[in-house]
This record gives sequence, structure tokens and C-alpha cells, in this order.
Amino acid sequence: MDPVRRLRVLASAISGACVVERVIPAPFEDIWSVVSALEEEFGTFEPDMRHLTVVSGHGSERLVVKARSRYGMRARFDVELCPGWCWMQSRFLIVGVAAVPVPGGTLVAQTGGVRVPGRAALVPVGVRTAGEKALARLEAKVTRR
Amino acid sequence: MSADLVRAAQGGDTMAMNDLLSELTPYLGRICGPIALDNGPDAVQEALIAIFRNLGSLRDPRALHGWARAIAVREAVRIARRRHQAVELTELPSRQDVESAVNIRDVLKRLSAEHRAVLVLRDLEGLPEDEAARLLRVPEGTVKSRLHRARRSFRNAWRS
Repeated sequence: MDPVRRLRVLASAISGACVVERVIPAPFEDIWSVVSALEEEFGTFEPDMRHLTVVSGHGSERLVVKARSRYGMRARFDVELCPGWCWMQSRFLIVGVAAVPVPGGTLVAQTGGVRVPGRAALVPVGVRTAGEKALARLEAKVTRR
Repeated sequence: MSADLVRAAQGGDTMAMNDLLSELTPYLGRICGPIALDNGPDAVQEALIAIFRNLGSLRDPRALHGWARAIAVREAVRIARRRHQAVELTELPSRQDVESAVNIRDVLKRLSAEHRAVLVLRDLEGLPEDEAARLLRVPEGTVKSRLHRARRSFRNAWRS
């Protein structure tokens, strides 16, 4: 099962989650070099994120990351990061990004939002808009290069 | 698979759900692939969606695999039938047809999704006939007859 299908499955089990998808006309490697650069690039396209710092797990698939939102709030995320797949969970936020090569470019999918603490549920306000904004920013960033 | 992981996923920990997904996906692929054939990935996706949406209803975490297997078989049969991929087996493939078959997949394609499901449950998963019948919601005699036909077509293929 490719990572985009995987994201659809996981999001389907999260109440309020919405998966936004877009084909970006760029090679998978170009897309993923941006998405996987958590400290340098992730905050430039994810609307709620600004600065991310990897606390532990450098170079492995399981990481702990400290993030600061654009409003100054801090969060500790558990992260799984591998080619085509990024899943992040904190007490108050969930973010997932997946990518798979397709004819004409790369299919990228995004989900996430404000988490209902302790539950597999998102506050279903603005999740689609936020996802669309994230993918538009990612596309602009990659195609500008 | 630990019961703690299942309970954490049931409790809404999406990292645990993610780990559970990693563990279940290859297993469901082995179930759905031979039944749904080219639509195997769709069947796996649909089965996993059904599993995760209903995970809270699973009372005993140790029963996860059997519960997931039942969902996967039903989803795989449903998708194979919906896509009209299955050709209902009214007659066994002819000798000539079987001789032209180049591999197991070709023989499988000549069976209906229901026959493929019986083969998977009995010969790959090793379920007894009564359990296979209960899972497929058909009488035990139907499982027997489907299995007999399916195995016979395979024997013919190997002899050709």
C-alpha cells in the first residue's frame, strides 16, 4: 500500500480529519527533500508551524520534535518520518503528509489540524483550507527552485 | 502484536494507530491479493478503513487478527465482484484453457471471488471448514463444494 493510500486510511479513523490531495509537477525527490527537512523547510509550508527542532532520533524514522506555532505556542511531537511518509502527533495537533510518484509529477496528500486532546479526533474547523494552503505553498516552493 | 498497542490505538493515540497499520498491512495484503487480484490494493485500503473505523468495537485485542481477516475477506470479495473482475465459475476451465494458463494468477482469474476466498481461508490461512463457512456467511456444504472445484482446477493446471 503506497503512502497516500496509507494516509487516507489513517485519516479515515480520525474524526473530523480531511485529506487534501494535489499532483505537483515535480519529481518525488524534490518534493520529499522539502517535506523531510523538518528543521529547515517544514515550517515554511505548513501554516500552523514555524520552527521545528529535532530533540531525539536524528537520522532514524522515529523522532521527537519540538515545534513552535506561528502564535508562539510550543508542542512536543512524536514523529514517524520515512520516504513518502511523515506523521506527527502532539497532544494538541496532528499533521500527516504523504507522497508518491505519479505520471506528470508527484501526488501529495496532507491531513491534520487541532486535535481533541487524547482522542483520534480533530476540531473540524478550517482543516480543508489549511491543507490546501499547505500544499499550495509546498508546490510554490518546489517549483520556484 | 501487543495488546497494549491495540488498546492505545483504541484510545485515540494516532502513533499507535500508525504502528498498527504497519503491522496489519502486509498481512491483509496476503489475504486480499489472491482474492481481489488486480484490485488487491483497493481491497486492502477499504478493509483497513473498515478495521480502523470499527476498532473501538473490538473487545479482546488478542482477537485482532481473526477479526481483521474476516473484514478483509469480505471487502476483497465485495470489491472483486463490484469491479466485475470475477468470472462466475459455472464450469471448470477446459483442458485447453488450463494448458494456456501460465501461472497461478491465471488460474485464480478463472475462479470467482467466492472460490478464491475459500482457497485463501482453507489453504493459506488453514481455517477449518466450519470457521470458513461462518466467516463467509455460507453453509458448510457450499465451502466444501467451492473448495473441491477450486482445488480441482488447480490440479488440472499442474498436470497440464
